[in-house]
Amino acid sequence: MNVWRIAIKELKWFRDPKMLVFLLATPILLMLILGTALSGAFQGSAAVGDIRVLYGASDGAAGARFEQWLGESSSVEGIVFEKSEKEEDAAVQDVKNGLYTGYVALESGGVTYYGSSRSVMENGIVQGMLTSFAERFKLETAIPDAAQAEGSAAGAGIVKETSLQGPKRPGAMDYFAIAVTTMCIMYGAASAGQLIDMERIRNTASRLLASPVTKAEIFAGKIIGTLLLNAITIAIVVLISRYMYGANWGSNWGAVAIVLMSQITFALSLGLGISYLVKGKAAGIIIMTIIQLAALFGGSYWQIEDNGDFVSKLSGYSPITWTNEALLGVIYGGGEGLMPASVAVLLNMGLSVVMLAAAAWIMRRRVGL
Amino acid sequence: MNVLELKELTKKFGDFAAVDRLSLTVKEGEIFGLLGANGAGKSTTINMIASLLPSTKGEIELMGRIIAKNAKFAKTNIGLVPQELAIYEEMTAYENVHFFAGLYGLRGSLLKSRAEEALAFTGLQDKKRSYPRDFSGGMKRRLNIACAIAHRPKLIIMDEPTVGIDPQSRRYILNSVRKLNEMGSTIIYTSHYMEEVEELCTRIAIIDHGKTIAEGTKEQLKSIITDRKTVGISVRSTEGLQIDKLLEIAGVREVELDEERRTVTIASDAEVNNLNRMIQQLLEDGMEIRAVDERQPNLETVFLTLTGRSLRDS
Repeated sequence: MNVWRIAIKELKWFRDPKMLVFLLATPILLMLILGTALSGAFQGSAAVGDIRVLYGASDGAAGARFEQWLGESSSVEGIVFEKSEKEEDAAVQDVKNGLYTGYVALESGGVTYYGSSRSVMENGIVQGMLTSFAERFKLETAIPDAAQAEGSAAGAGIVKETSLQGPKRPGAMDYFAIAVTTMCIMYGAASAGQLIDMERIRNTASRLLASPVTKAEIFAGKIIGTLLLNAITIAIVVLISRYMYGANWGSNWGAVAIVLMSQITFALSLGLGISYLVKGKAAGIIIMTIIQLAALFGGSYWQIEDNGDFVSKLSGYSPITWTNEALLGVIYGGGEGLMPASVAVLLNMGLSVVMLAAAAWIMRRRVGL
Repeated sequence: MNVLELKELTKKFGDFAAVDRLSLTVKEGEIFGLLGANGAGKSTTINMIASLLPSTKGEIELMGRIIAKNAKFAKTNIGLVPQELAIYEEMTAYENVHFFAGLYGLRGSLLKSRAEEALAFTGLQDKKRSYPRDFSGGMKRRLNIACAIAHRPKLIIMDEPTVGIDPQSRRYILNSVRKLNEMGSTIIYTSHYMEEVEELCTRIAIIDHGKTIAEGTKEQLKSIITDRKTVGISVRSTEGLQIDKLLEIAGVREVELDEERRTVTIASDAEVNNLNRMIQQLLEDGMEIRAVDERQPNLETVFLTLTGRSLRDS
């Protein structure tokens, strides 16, 4: 009961106008500014940057047909297919290294696509195109006469050119609605770092500890309260971005909520953990440095393209990156996006457990909170 | 019946003993004054009684139960009014009291009525919907007290509850302490204001270097001082008074000048007959003497004599 009493007390922070401005107005304004200012970079095919895909053909006929299809297709803007001169293994390695989004192996038995795990959304686009090619190739093989009958009604009707547009891609506002939300969640680590410190500064720590409440109850109450406070705030931010700015959060609200909640938990645990592991003001400096770097390399201010360079390699270590990719996967990758989302959720929750366990262990040994 | 008993209580920080084999008892219904200079071990003792700090050695018994083994019982029966304000600025006065009282297991209508009662007791009923950030220092101090008494503890520990407030609020708090005591609470009271302790407390312990150096009623403590006399001399004007000349007189230990009241207070060894010499010196300095009175030792004198320090200067 005391856990809930303390948790509900935490929610009363919401009445502080300064806090409210910071929690709500900042992300909403940032989305508007970044989403408007950088909208040019997200128009047309440039939305996710040029997608570079390697292809190789072990079967000459399949290769020729693929190249013919590429030549005929008019809607592959923004996607560059490059013929690989290397062996398949080497080409796949290039994909693993982030040099290409994927590798298309054209064989007599069909088409195999190796997509980079870093590019969930881009893979969706490429796979959509390849499905289109495979369907046409299959039909042409099954009904060669019909397909080859130039201008015949049958050919025109059956081998119909389907749209080569992949799944829907995020516009500037769509992207920054996600990126700014996850960045603001990350800033929650800064306030979490002061969660217990504030009780000490206001001298309420001694009053709490003088009451018949255990340290564990205080710890749990404050964590639950802050999680609820952050979750409510983020829900409001998401809803405003969805209905005021029309940002796309997809239709799988449950998965989006789970991913966001896992990051809220991670940010809180990170702040709390560091505030216990590092004494004094250094903790705040470390937390702010981590947040700034995570935002910088996590694509919070501009989108970081995964082209294998130093920045994009560092980007992979930012919790904002893995959460953004998880959300983009859920929203734009359909069912296939759920797997990387699960990995991100597990990563966030796993790290949270480690940080919270460290904080709880240190608190138990410490006199006072 | 003893409400609180400290037995050989010791707290060490490394090699430094902040509290050193301290023993004292507080009886039911007492207002027990705890006097000590800064660093004497007063706060450390209070923190150990309130279960905020574990002791290194010794025992604390609350109503016959060892608190280290009965922490929940002890915490439920103690109300702590910390020296520093310990309230939430983002919560109203009522919410503050309601929240803290709720931690002591009070629920529903009982919790509400006790919170209202505590606010009424401290004169904050009209301000219950206001936020502490809009309160004066005195009102915040009263809220600090309300948060500690709503659960009706047997023992209330008040650590300098009147620091930095106006005389009106101080008077209100002192009356509240007396009323709480009349309602059945035993109180441990610490203050830098000796006159408050003298006015309120039924028994007093003086702590120095972590040890009790004197304990008893104020009369008992004053009777310790038999080797000192204090003379107060009122003059028309203090202009031209040479304090160093007074200090040169045999037996004189201290001279205090109150320019506002135009009074010279001289502390001297009791056995030295030096009153004539003091008056002579004042006349030589051109003072016009209006009254001379020999004062009884007060707690300040007792404290000064026993610790060698003035409480307010420490």
